[in-house]
Amino acid sequence: MTRPLLRAVGLTKTFVGPGGAPVPVLRDIHLEVGSAEFVAVTGSSGSGKTTLLNLLGLLEPVDAGEIWLGEERVSHLGRRAQARVRGASIGYVFQSFLLLSGLTALDNVVLAARYVGRDRAAAQKEALNLLERMGVAHRRDHYPAQLSGGEQQRVAYCRAVLNRPPLVLADEPTGNLDDEHARVILAELRASTEERGAAVVLVTHRPETQVLADRVLRLHAGRLDPGPAVSPA
Amino acid sequence: MRLRELLPRGYSFTVVGIAVGVAGLVSLGAMAERITRFIEGGDRFVLGQISVAGEGMGMGTGFTAGGLLSAAKIGDIAAVPGVSGVQAQVMLPLSTSTSHFLTLTQELIMGMDVSVPIPNRHYRELPVAEGRPLRQEDRHATVLGADFAASRHLTAGSSVVLGGQDFSVVGILDKTFTAPDRFALVAIEDARDLWLRRDPLLVQVFGAGTLRRGDLNTGAAVGWRDGEDPDALARRIQATVSGLNVTIPGELSRLLRQSTAFFSALLLGIGALGLLIGGLSLANTVTAAVFERIRDFGIKRALGATDLDLLGEVLGEGLRVSLWGGAAGVLLAWSIGTAVDARVLRDGAQIFLFSRRLLVFALVFSLALGTLAAAYATLRIARLSPAEAIRRGS
Repeated sequence: MTRPLLRAVGLTKTFVGPGGAPVPVLRDIHLEVGSAEFVAVTGSSGSGKTTLLNLLGLLEPVDAGEIWLGEERVSHLGRRAQARVRGASIGYVFQSFLLLSGLTALDNVVLAARYVGRDRAAAQKEALNLLERMGVAHRRDHYPAQLSGGEQQRVAYCRAVLNRPPLVLADEPTGNLDDEHARVILAELRASTEERGAAVVLVTHRPETQVLADRVLRLHAGRLDPGPAVSPA
Repeated sequence: MRLRELLPRGYSFTVVGIAVGVAGLVSLGAMAERITRFIEGGDRFVLGQISVAGEGMGMGTGFTAGGLLSAAKIGDIAAVPGVSGVQAQVMLPLSTSTSHFLTLTQELIMGMDVSVPIPNRHYRELPVAEGRPLRQEDRHATVLGADFAASRHLTAGSSVVLGGQDFSVVGILDKTFTAPDRFALVAIEDARDLWLRRDPLLVQVFGAGTLRRGDLNTGAAVGWRDGEDPDALARRIQATVSGLNVTIPGELSRLLRQSTAFFSALLLGIGALGLLIGGLSLANTVTAAVFERIRDFGIKRALGATDLDLLGEVLGEGLRVSLWGGAAGVLLAWSIGTAVDARVLRDGAQIFLFSRRLLVFALVFSLALGTLAAAYATLRIARLSPAEAIRRGS
């Protein structure tokens, strides 16, 4: 592995359960992911996979530990600086797509450019190219409710990669898709590592997804274990 | 700008909610405005002139109620230093068979000596909306108050029966929102005729030769010269000319305010109620609308939006939605109020007054409160992490 793009050191997260009892979810997680590396994280339901992805994506504050993105310790930045990192350096693909219902497919994609100060016209052109590549350009003016699940996820993927982030985090991106649409999304994630050197961390249950990964890690009882060795696709 | 950008998608119900709140505020405010204008108009009138009647009671009506005011007394008043003019008047209730006497809806026939300029400093002339004002040579001609005319569907050129006599309507006054709206202005000679026809006792006294026509006055309006203190002049008239009922403008204004204290309290309550209902409805609707979008905020923050970005977006949307809701609410209240007034105006009444200051206030109020409510809700949501916002909104 080349110099790690993403480095997590001693990550710990505890939620407050019913009655105020602490519920430890992640304990002392150490993880390194290099540029152009595709890492899959597996684990049973409730093992903390989504929480791990949320911490790595700065969507949730860590209780303890550090997250480094390149040379920057991003876990300890202020709110405004973290927002900048999220917008410019991290792309998210969620299981439930999380498109904004009041925006068209095209506007949902272009939204990613708004908060990083990109020129709207240029972003729109690139967004159209991405939608074209993903086979949903004809749906550009449709609202999410007018799109199928597969189409929504393809739009969500376009949004995640519009700013060419060096890190893409995908949380069960194929969980709500049929096999054909799942294949399209996974192929694009794989391609983003190969074509532009992005690091991808994917949380998944699908065995075929794990086959695509360079490394598979298993999350169990809040701890990260190396999973079975797999061959790169 | 596209229409979709003027009214953000998904805000229709918010706009309706705001509109209902603002409509409540504007409707209640319009009722308060109507009462306020009536009280202010009355106050302005009594502070603009000294009203004088003869000693005693019962001959006339309205603000000149008192005994008969003879021509000689009017001459004496005019000679008091500081007096700029005296206009003899005859005020009669339009209908003696009803119990309208001294109520807010009383309709009056007001005979004016048109040869003398109106002495009231706040009503130098009664503005005519249609037709022309009363002239000195007019006989059996009348200029009607706005409500008087509207309740009978009369226009300039119509005719109307006053006290059993036919009168041609030569003019309609502008709406004043106070007493003259229910007046029928006639020449004082016509009013004296009506008075004599109506009052058998007066005919006997008049027939006995103890009275001349010029003595048949229920009162007079007295004006003062510039720089003169009206209250001091009123007391001077009282002291100089015997046998008069003189109203002191300052005292009358105070009495009027005391007697309308109930209405003042009522309209204050109506206004406060309007603000409370409209404000709560508006703030609640906007806050709920922002909280409903908690997931959207989480997504946007995941895409790199800062707290300031979100606040700016929400304030922009809040402003637009509040403006739409405010405008719709104003329109709704105005439509309902106009429809109701069109119905009650037949009885010479008006319930709502949609003044410019009320409408501007309602719009500014809805914009300010909508924006504040949106900002409050946004700041509450901004405290959540993006993941928490997405979780709560999903």
